[in-house]
Amino acid sequence: MTMELTIHEVANRLNLPWNTIERWVRQGRIPMQKSGNIYIMREAVMKKWAEAHNLSFFLSKKEIDQEKNLQPENLLPAMQRGSVLYGINGQTVEKVLKDAIDKIPDLLIKNKKELLATLIERESLASTGIGNGVAIPHPRTPLSEMHKNSAIITCFFEKPVDFGSIDNKPVFIMFILLSISVKTHLHLLSRLSFCVRNKLFIEFLKTSPAHDLFYAKIADYEKEIDQIGDF
Amino acid sequence: MSIFKSWRNPFKWNFFRSDDRLLLILIAVIVGSCSGLAAVALNRSILILFDWLHPFRHYWWAFILPAIGAALSSIFLEKIVNEGAGHGVPEVVYSVSSYGGLLRFRSSFSRIISSCLTIGSGGSAGPEAPVVMSGAAIGANIASFFSLNDRQRIIIVGCGAAGAISSIFNAPISGLVFSIEVILGEWKASNIVPIAIASVAGTEISRFLQGNSIAFAHHNFDITFFDIGASFGLAIFTAVVTIFLTRSLKTVRGISEKIQIPLWVRAAAGGCAVGIIGMFLPVVLGEGYHFIGSMINENFTQGLLVVAIALFAKIFATSLTLGSGGSGGIFAPCLVIGSLAGLTYYRALAIIYPSLSWVNEGCYALLGMAGLISGMLQAPLTGIFLIVEITGGYNVILPLLIVSSVSTTLCHYIEPASFYLKALVAKGQLLRPGTDARVLSDLSVPELLERDCLTVNQNMRLGEFIHIIKKSRRNIFPVEDEKTGRFLGLIHLDSIRSYIFNSDMYNAVFLWQIMDTDVDKVYPDDDLSEILNIMDRKHLFSIPVVANNKFIGIISKATLLDQYRKELMVQTLD
Repeated sequence: MTMELTIHEVANRLNLPWNTIERWVRQGRIPMQKSGNIYIMREAVMKKWAEAHNLSFFLSKKEIDQEKNLQPENLLPAMQRGSVLYGINGQTVEKVLKDAIDKIPDLLIKNKKELLATLIERESLASTGIGNGVAIPHPRTPLSEMHKNSAIITCFFEKPVDFGSIDNKPVFIMFILLSISVKTHLHLLSRLSFCVRNKLFIEFLKTSPAHDLFYAKIADYEKEIDQIGDF
Repeated sequence: MSIFKSWRNPFKWNFFRSDDRLLLILIAVIVGSCSGLAAVALNRSILILFDWLHPFRHYWWAFILPAIGAALSSIFLEKIVNEGAGHGVPEVVYSVSSYGGLLRFRSSFSRIISSCLTIGSGGSAGPEAPVVMSGAAIGANIASFFSLNDRQRIIIVGCGAAGAISSIFNAPISGLVFSIEVILGEWKASNIVPIAIASVAGTEISRFLQGNSIAFAHHNFDITFFDIGASFGLAIFTAVVTIFLTRSLKTVRGISEKIQIPLWVRAAAGGCAVGIIGMFLPVVLGEGYHFIGSMINENFTQGLLVVAIALFAKIFATSLTLGSGGSGGIFAPCLVIGSLAGLTYYRALAIIYPSLSWVNEGCYALLGMAGLISGMLQAPLTGIFLIVEITGGYNVILPLLIVSSVSTTLCHYIEPASFYLKALVAKGQLLRPGTDARVLSDLSVPELLERDCLTVNQNMRLGEFIHIIKKSRRNIFPVEDEKTGRFLGLIHLDSIRSYIFNSDMYNAVFLWQIMDTDVDKVYPDDDLSEILNIMDRKHLFSIPVVANNKFIGIISKATLLDQYRKELMVQTLD
């Protein structure tokens, strides 16, 4: 099938303003044919011409669109995917991490050893305890088995644990943040930290709410974030 | 209906449309023939007018003949066809470089009539430039008739010019070389083929109508070693004469432009002065080809002093004719002045070194012409080929090359721009293909405009502004008036970086307090080279574009580089 392109389509594919292409047609620099009232060009001719002139040329607009539309997902779906764990035991950082990882459903994470090792490695660089009794452990680089979707595992502790947080308060809840890319990581982290900055939310978390209540609260906060339009 | 349309115009038939090169060659034949015809017509009418006025030359009042001719030509140009005086070549080059070769239809005959009046009545000017203008205009209009694009139209304009020069001199190669060297400035096969065809067509028309005669035929010259040496001296002498002619033209034009009288009176006064000179030295009148012939054939017997006086008289007559507003070109006067210069040089040489046996004076007249043409047009190839073709002598090629190249170099050293292009260069309008100036002039502000700037208003607080910063992908923020949308100023992230992290100021500071109101701004019609000048001077990376007092976008150097490079690739890789 031969595909015919108009000036605007050619401009899109060359990533140039359409008035430049229009001028090129007028000056006879680009071989477009007049067909009725519009100028058209066959895709194959176009490709050849672009190659001859060293111009980068995108075969179709869809590829770019796909990349652009890939907005990082929000907290709620990631949290629902990651599930909520209650009564995590342990006196030290390593022990609570190990207990939490053991309790993660096998469907989500298969290589638990790798996860534990990377989390501990990250923890040894600097504590992920961000204050107010909250910690957000995460691997330094996206996990090898996390491809499509990010996940946040919410872990309520049995007893507060000293995480070496910046405000020295013992940690009673941690969110294990497993993201697919650095961009998603920042996006989720920034939304999460908006929530935990709120004193009321911390009080709410201290009551170890049931997971549907917890998700509802998160949904409320996300709505607020979207209204401000910050993140 | 569409059947009739295509039938009426055979050149829209698919056969010719199938390949653009074929179409161009076909149009080149038509244009070359038409401009050749125009050249023959002008040449003939000048001769007829000159002969018709010849009996009156013996009366005492004959000096007013050139005045009447110049005045009529000036009135014709100014009142009837409404075109400027001058020879027309700069207009053609300007149109080729800036408007894709578009020329008005009336240009195809206006210069022919006006220069016929000027030269036929005795004004010292040449018919070549007017005929180049006509040929180019014929080409431009025929190209537009076939709805060719700019690049093809430029080639056809070149065809018109080539056809005209080829026809008037019966010299096809000179036409081709002149057209490419002076008019187009781009040696490419795609230019050369149609223009060569047009040259052939123009020459054939001329040969068919006027016979195949070489303008200044001569017998063979025996060039000796001494002549080669002497040609260096001649080159220097012709360069001096060229500079003198250029300066004299400039001075007379400068003086005549200061005098506040109607254009036709000015032209008449110039013509009068030429007429008075012509009473004593008829060599200065008209295009003067007759005298060139006699000089080459050694029939010009007057002594050194007379020749030298004639040389200067011709220079002054040419300056007066062209400077005062007469219509005509510099080509023919250059040839006359050149041959006079060559003759002067030869006579002086013969007096200083009487013992050496020089080749005859005709050869020096010929070399002098080459020196003047090359120096004046700064187009050495045109000079060389023209002289070889109009004299039919290849045996003078060695000294010819020396005189042409040395004269061009010397003149270029003193007068960097050629006579035809000087005005364009001074105005920055000479935009040869593939040059920086050309690329910048082709790109326009709307093509480079980036519209993804977020605008803010002056009564916004710093705290609200922080949210805008989060959303924006740019580091400059135009400030608009809340109500009218007028562009007030600019906030650059760099200048407020020190206090955007201070949250105490978020509610205390309004944007009108921190915006920069004294910003350089540009308008959509501005020249890109001008905009880049401002950016370079002020070390800016981006500059706001404002239309009707409203902000419409920015121009940034990063995008400019990207577009500039693409433009350059498309313009140079054909």
